[in-house]
Parts: sequence; structure tokens; C-alpha cells
Amino acid sequence: MTEALGFLWPSFLVAVCLVGIHAYFGIQVLARNVIFVDLALAQIAALGATVAFMLGHPAQSLATYGYSLSFTMLAAVLLAFTRSWATRVPQEALIGVIYVVAAAAAILLIDRAPQGAEHLKQILTGNILTSGLGDVAAIVPLYLTIALIHFLLRGRLAQSSSPFWEFVFYATFGIVVTSSVALAGVLLVFSFLIIPAAIGVMFAATLPRQLAIGWIAGILTSAAGFAASFAFDLPTGAAIVCAFGIALALAGLLYPFVRGDRLAALGMTVGAVRWGFAALVAGSAIQLAVAPRGDLPLIDMLEHAAPSLRNLYFTDTEAAAYQDADEYAERHRLAAEQLIEQERRSRTQGEALDETAVQRMSSFLKSYAEMRKGEQFVMGEIHARARERVRWSGSLGLLALALLLAPLPWRRLWTRWSG
Amino acid sequence: MTTTTDLRSLTEVVGGDLVDVVSLVPANFDAEEYQPKPQDVLRLNKARLVVRVGLDYDLWFDRLLGAGAPRELRRGGGGYVDASYGIAPLEVRGVTIGPGDGHAHGSGNPHYWLDPKNAEFITANILDGLARIDPAHAKTYEANRQAFLARLSAKLTEWETKLAPLRQMPLVAYHNSWPYFARRFRLDFVDFLEIKPGVPPTPSHLAGIIDTMRGRGMRLVVREPHEPERDVAFVAVKAGASVVVLATSVGALPGTNDYLALFDTDVSALVKAASAR
Repeated sequence: MTEALGFLWPSFLVAVCLVGIHAYFGIQVLARNVIFVDLALAQIAALGATVAFMLGHPAQSLATYGYSLSFTMLAAVLLAFTRSWATRVPQEALIGVIYVVAAAAAILLIDRAPQGAEHLKQILTGNILTSGLGDVAAIVPLYLTIALIHFLLRGRLAQSSSPFWEFVFYATFGIVVTSSVALAGVLLVFSFLIIPAAIGVMFAATLPRQLAIGWIAGILTSAAGFAASFAFDLPTGAAIVCAFGIALALAGLLYPFVRGDRLAALGMTVGAVRWGFAALVAGSAIQLAVAPRGDLPLIDMLEHAAPSLRNLYFTDTEAAAYQDADEYAERHRLAAEQLIEQERRSRTQGEALDETAVQRMSSFLKSYAEMRKGEQFVMGEIHARARERVRWSGSLGLLALALLLAPLPWRRLWTRWSG
Repeated sequence: MTTTTDLRSLTEVVGGDLVDVVSLVPANFDAEEYQPKPQDVLRLNKARLVVRVGLDYDLWFDRLLGAGAPRELRRGGGGYVDASYGIAPLEVRGVTIGPGDGHAHGSGNPHYWLDPKNAEFITANILDGLARIDPAHAKTYEANRQAFLARLSAKLTEWETKLAPLRQMPLVAYHNSWPYFARRFRLDFVDFLEIKPGVPPTPSHLAGIIDTMRGRGMRLVVREPHEPERDVAFVAVKAGASVVVLATSVGALPGTNDYLALFDTDVSALVKAASAR
């Protein structure tokens, strides 16, 4: 446990650095309306590295970095000029084209090189969990230099239309993205870039305030992502990306409360939630009536959370048979696991198993798997039949529930009907 | 035509000068994620015999066969060889890919060619296939196979002697490719960084591995050439171990030009890494 914390905090520091620079670039990217430019630049850098690799340079060499950088600069020139060309075709379309062509070109190159695929994978799928203090030491001076350049040139870079300043913007951004994607992977870098910036822009109008809000939101969300990854034992990068998604949704929900009539916003929210649930329940009712043997996501989810709900419509015999099948399935699984473990131990401990013994074990394992599948089939069948039995009563009940949940003006309807 | 380079090497051994073998998956590509190319269909149509790994390892091959291969090359045809026939698969976790700690291979761990002894089954399956399409030379194929098995058995003793000092030495690998190899040479792969194929490791899983490695004084982490270098290096540094790169397929590393050379390279890499400390 403490061990995990021991290597989570350096990667949290890396995340803080990444949020720091990306929130700023994100605000610029949102203002320029070039949302996916980071993907295009990262892919171009990867293409450059692939070319270097094809020419025989080792992966971590200066030459490879040089190729990567030159390709990024070329893309920056291209992006800088397209801003003024982009009158009828939006610039975002061109960015998409750069992305797909760079990705496809890399695949074509790799196709000619043994050991290429692994190489490209390593560039584009960093893992923040295994980044550390060495990475912090490498990126902090780089990011500070770029931040300084942007601070000194802030007047020119902010909203200029001259291709040269645009080039400076895309070039510096390309350098940042190339280093961060190798550290944290494409998905996470995109979240660092767009979501804190979006939250900042949502709640503030001036750059310093947007930055401050973006940084706070980004750091808190990253911390929440790391905590979730630690507490629930989840892959770290994916956990942080989802935390960012939730953060943006929460910010969206919060917005009307901060920026408008609070009471009206509360009423709207409650109404929307009630309509949402009513629609879900009504949908399940229709599903149950039309296809009782099919998947019923809402009911399945509830039953998964609280298995005793099944007793509402299972007969005693059904419940017993279901329970029985469940237990047998688990028993077969455990038996198979034990056998696998026994074989694993026999590889190094005691007498080695001879071929016949392994054959026997193997066919036992197959039988256990088949039997387990059989029990699961029985469970599914009991379930489906029970649902078929309560098809009409169940769906009527659900419809009634949906009506109750829906925020309909019951009192007014009642007075009109009775009066 | 074979799906992997390992099967190509073994088919060449049995076929000798009488056959011309190509592998669909180039050396050091992840054969589990291969995407067939248009030329593959042309190559397939020229082939008289196809040899595949089976055990759900090269599932994409079924789609390729379905895309217009001659009838005799399809499953059940005279020119179709599933090299896994007769092999006892290890770690069979059934057909369900779902809850549990499934290594998501349908029916057992598919890396069976990494037990050199299984080459007896593989070459027998190939021999059957070749004898079916070319009965005139069946004798030659059989003689080729016997000559190879004799060489293999001499090599096997050599490898076993070389790896004997590594018996019971606990090892960690990135992906669970090694059960057959481990069983033959009595090696102890304690844990894997990748819990499920394609999912990056979680913090507490990595912490657990590092803990075990420190506790048991483990000194080696095994990585295949296509696996993430950074993640493996991270664990190795934290646990004070060194990384040894092993090939699981012919051609994946320099020097692994055929089936026997593959084991030669892996065995000496392991021995060297173990004695370096």
C-alpha cells in the first residue's frame, strides 16, 4: 500500500506539471478553435521518430529527437499558414487530415520495418504511472522556458494573425505535446489540454482568472483520479481521464447555479432528473413487454446491485434452482482454478508432471469450463422464464412507477378531471 | 503458408527443399493483433497448405480464410493444418471472456510452441498435412522430421543443462506468454505486470509485484521486444532487478533465425542475465 503511494506521488507531480502548461495551451487552442491539434502534432512527431528509426537511429538518440522535432516544425509551418487559407474549409478539417495522413504514413513505413510497430506504440502510449522524478526534472526547465517565451510575447501570440507568430505558437506547442504524449499517452494529454481550459473559460473571462480556475480544477481532478486509481485499483491513466470527464460534467451542472437564477436552475435540474428516470423506467417497461427474454439493462443493473430483488418475481423453486446453479458454477470455477494452480506449482516444485498427467489436467479443465457454461445457461434460462411469466404485470407496474416519477402536474390534472 | 514465423521454421524443417514457405505475420509483429493485407489474399490463393497456431491465437486467420480461400484450405480441408492438434493446453479457463482474472484467450494459453517438446506434435501435424497434399514424398517428409527431432532432442538436453541453475529462480514477466516454456525448463514465473491483455497495470498491482520481488530477492524481469520498455524498466529499477529481453517468435530478435536458434538465443540470454548478478 505505502509502496503504491511511494510511486504515485512522483507521477502526480508529473501530472501537475502537465496540467500547468496544458491548461494554458488549452485556452489558446479553444480560442483558435483547433481542438484536435495536439493529436495531429503528436502523430507527426511519432512519424518523424519512425522515419529516424527506419534510417537506423536508435529510439532514444539525439538524431531521433531531431527528426521528431523537424517534422513537428514542418507541421507547425503548415498549421500557421492554413489559418489564413481557412476561409471556406475550416482549419479543424485540415488538422484532421494531418492526423490521419501522419498516422497512416507511419503504418506504411512500419510495414517495411521489422520491430517498427512496437516503436510507434512506445511513442504514443506513455503511462503516467511509471513516470517519475527524472521526468519532472526533464520537463520543468523545458516548460518554464516555453512559458517564459509566451509570457514575453503575450501581446503578439494571443490573437495575432501573422503567420510567423502562429508558427511560434504551434512550434512551441508541438514541443510540449511531443514530450507530454510520450510521458502520459494521447488520451490523458488531450484531457489535460481541453478540460481544465474549458472549465476555466466557462467561469471566467480574463486569461489570468481562466488559468487560475483551470489549474485548480485540473490539479484537484488529477488528484481525484490518482486517488480513485489507488483506492479502487484501476489503471491510472484511464482513471484520470474519466475523472476529468466527470469534472467537466459537474462544472456544466454547476454553471447555471453560478451564472443564473439559482432557484430556477434547481427546479430545472430536479425536473430533468425526474424526467430522465421516468423515461428510463418507462423504456424498461416497454422492453419487458416486447422482449422479456432480452437484456433489460436497467433491471439487470438493479439486480446486480441487489440480488434479492429477484425474489420479487422468482417462485421459490426458481429461486432455489437459480441459487443451486450459481453455487455449482462457482464450484466448477474454483475447481478449475485449483487445478491450474496445481499445474503451475508442479512446474517448479516436486516431481515434474508427465505428458499424460498434463493431458488429463487439460481435459479436466475443459470439462469444468463446459459444466460452468452449462450452469450459467441454466441461470439465464430460469431468469428469462421468470421474466416471461411476469411480462404483463411487471411492465404495468413499471409504467405506473414511471408515471409517478415523471414531474407531471398531478394536482392540476386531478382538479380538472374531478371538476 | 503459415501464420507465424515459428510455424514457418518448423514447416521448412519437415518440407525441406520440396516446399516454399511464407509466414503471413512478419517477424516480430504481434501475431495476436495482425491485420491481413490485400496481398495476403493473393498469397493464400497460391498456397497449397496452410498451417496455423490455433487455440484462438490467430483468430484473424479465420476471416482471411473466409474471404475467398479455396475450399481445400479451409477448416476441414486437406490443405488445412491446425498445429495445436494433440497439444495439452495449459491454463484453460473456459470459453468465457469475462469476469475473473481471465487471460483472454478462449481455450487455454496459446503460446505452446515455446515448449520445444511440443514441436513433436506440431511437426507431426505438419507432416500429416504435407503427406495429404503430396503423398509421393511422404517418406522424405517423415525422414526430415525424424532428423529434426533427433537434433531437437540433443538440443533440449543442452538447454536443460544450461537452464538447470535457474530452476526455482523466481521471475516476473510482462505478459503471460511463458507457461509452456516454464513447465519444460522448470522455471518459476511468479507474476505478470499485465493483469489482462491490453490493460495497463494498476498501482497496487505494480506495488505488489515490486514488494514480492524485493521480498524474494528476485533479480530478473522478462520482456518481449514489443512490450512497453518504460513500464518494465520502471519495475526493474524499483525492485533492483535487471531486464532480460526474450523472443517468443522466430525472427523477433537478432540471431533467432529458426526454431532451434530461437531457444538458443533465449536460453543464453537468460543464463547470461542470471549469472551477471
